[in-house]
Amino acid sequence: MSKNIIHAFFLPLFLLLIVLPILALVVNLDKEGIQKTIIDPFFWSSVKNTILAAILAAGLALVVSIGFAYYHLFHKQSLVYKMANLFNDLPIALPHTVAGLALLLAFGRKTMGFLGETGAAFTLFAVIIAMFFVSYALAARALISGVDQMEPEVIDVARTLGDNPVQVYFKVVLPLMGEALFSGFVLAFSRSLSEFAAVIMFGGNLPGRTQVLASYVFTKVEVGDLDMAVTAAVFCVALSCLILSMLIVGRHRYAKS
Amino acid sequence: MLKAEGICKRYGNQIVLQQANIELDSEIKALIGINGGGKSTFLKIIAGIVREDQGKVYINGRQVNNLPPEQRKIGYVPQYPALFQHLSAEENVLYGARKNREASQDFYEQVTSILGLTEVLRKRPHELSGGYKSRVSLARALLPQPHILLMDEPLSGMDIIIRKKVLPVFRQVLKKIQIPVLYVTHDPEEAELMADSYAAMNYGEIRLVVSAAEAFEAIQNRHGPL
Ligand SMILES: Nc1ncnc2c1ncn2[C@@H]1O[C@H](COP(=O)(O)OP(=O)(O)OP(=O)(O)O)[C@@H](O)[C@H]1O
Ligand SMILES: [Mg+2]
Repeated sequence: MSKNIIHAFFLPLFLLLIVLPILALVVNLDKEGIQKTIIDPFFWSSVKNTILAAILAAGLALVVSIGFAYYHLFHKQSLVYKMANLFNDLPIALPHTVAGLALLLAFGRKTMGFLGETGAAFTLFAVIIAMFFVSYALAARALISGVDQMEPEVIDVARTLGDNPVQVYFKVVLPLMGEALFSGFVLAFSRSLSEFAAVIMFGGNLPGRTQVLASYVFTKVEVGDLDMAVTAAVFCVALSCLILSMLIVGRHRYAKS
Repeated sequence: MLKAEGICKRYGNQIVLQQANIELDSEIKALIGINGGGKSTFLKIIAGIVREDQGKVYINGRQVNNLPPEQRKIGYVPQYPALFQHLSAEENVLYGARKNREASQDFYEQVTSILGLTEVLRKRPHELSGGYKSRVSLARALLPQPHILLMDEPLSGMDIIIRKKVLPVFRQVLKKIQIPVLYVTHDPEEAELMADSYAAMNYGEIRLVVSAAEAFEAIQNRHGPL
């Protein structure tokens, strides 16, 4: 009985709300749109900006997460950990326009005016920082669940063999966390790819310079080049599929070893 | 030489160790106690992994309460082999001996050959059987040449056939290098095979007994603190 209820709501809602919109993109793809888009240098620069910035943002997220997970493992009682823990998930809960505004105020003209007229804002660097801001928490969660799965005895033994906590962390814990590091990176990377609001507010939408795929699609819709927007959107779908399959293949590989 | 005096430890309201004392010379001493009786906690306090609420720990006459585990010169073989999965058996064994590898080459060969590890050193931990994992775990603890060795039911997960085979080998290597050992177990036969002297642990208190049999009586007849 209850199983039938689930049958009745799950599949229709899933198909209607998840699968249909994605299919709608694909069926609206047309040849002319594709042709116009692939010769548009701003499309390719937005592809390049997106991938480059997302890789750097995810890398930075991983580095900071590695630091956070260290505190999580060895210094749960410390003030640093407690404070970081409080702030960690905040960026996820904030509207991303708020995140963008926060970054603009922190690193914009007022504080970083010496860098140029707009401070650090509206540069590719700003795009990376915006992506980092919204994706860091995902990487941090992945690493935390990784260190929580470590056998405590393994760490204890390494300590008695002469390692201080930092040495244990780099020589034993991180090498055994391949899967967590990999999924932390991929999650942060895919979150970075999909960011729009924070990126556009802090990084801007300058074609060829700070425009990313998300803002490219937005611009094309706004100026009425819907067919080009659809092409870029389908490209995004393909890119996401590629990343998700990387995640699945990666997890599968670690599960086997 | 090890001396622990008046060790107390509680987790929340639960008293795990109540004035636990132990002394250890150049002998293998079996510490026998019931499940959940605080044996592992006691060893972890001696090793510096868990912080005691009260009490003192001396190693070779020096008080070590304020030293972190890496400075106590204690070998520790935990309840599970806890090998470093990303390293080969050989790299596991040598993990703590990196600093004076030259000087300890003879020692390394002696330990690995008595423990019968020569053939498996190239293997990865997941390719080893349970018995060999615990041999590697012991060799790894011995290589830095610690002052004392703590073994926490190192064969608890294994069947009796493997235990009977491995125990004499363990005893042989420990006697050969003359290291004081505190060997935790809850199996009378294992204690007899392994140890020179015996102590019974009951609700966090420890007392010396003359045989493994007496230790078992001591822990079985008690339904409350001594
Ligand atoms: N980190 C901890 N936090 C809370 N309670 C703990 C902790 N570690 C151990 N205990 C409790 O302390 C008691 C003693 O545990 P301990 O592992 O030292 O006993 P043991 O004699 O080694 O048991 P076993 O035979 O199962 O290995 C148990 O009741 C256990 O639940
Ligand atoms: Mg135990």
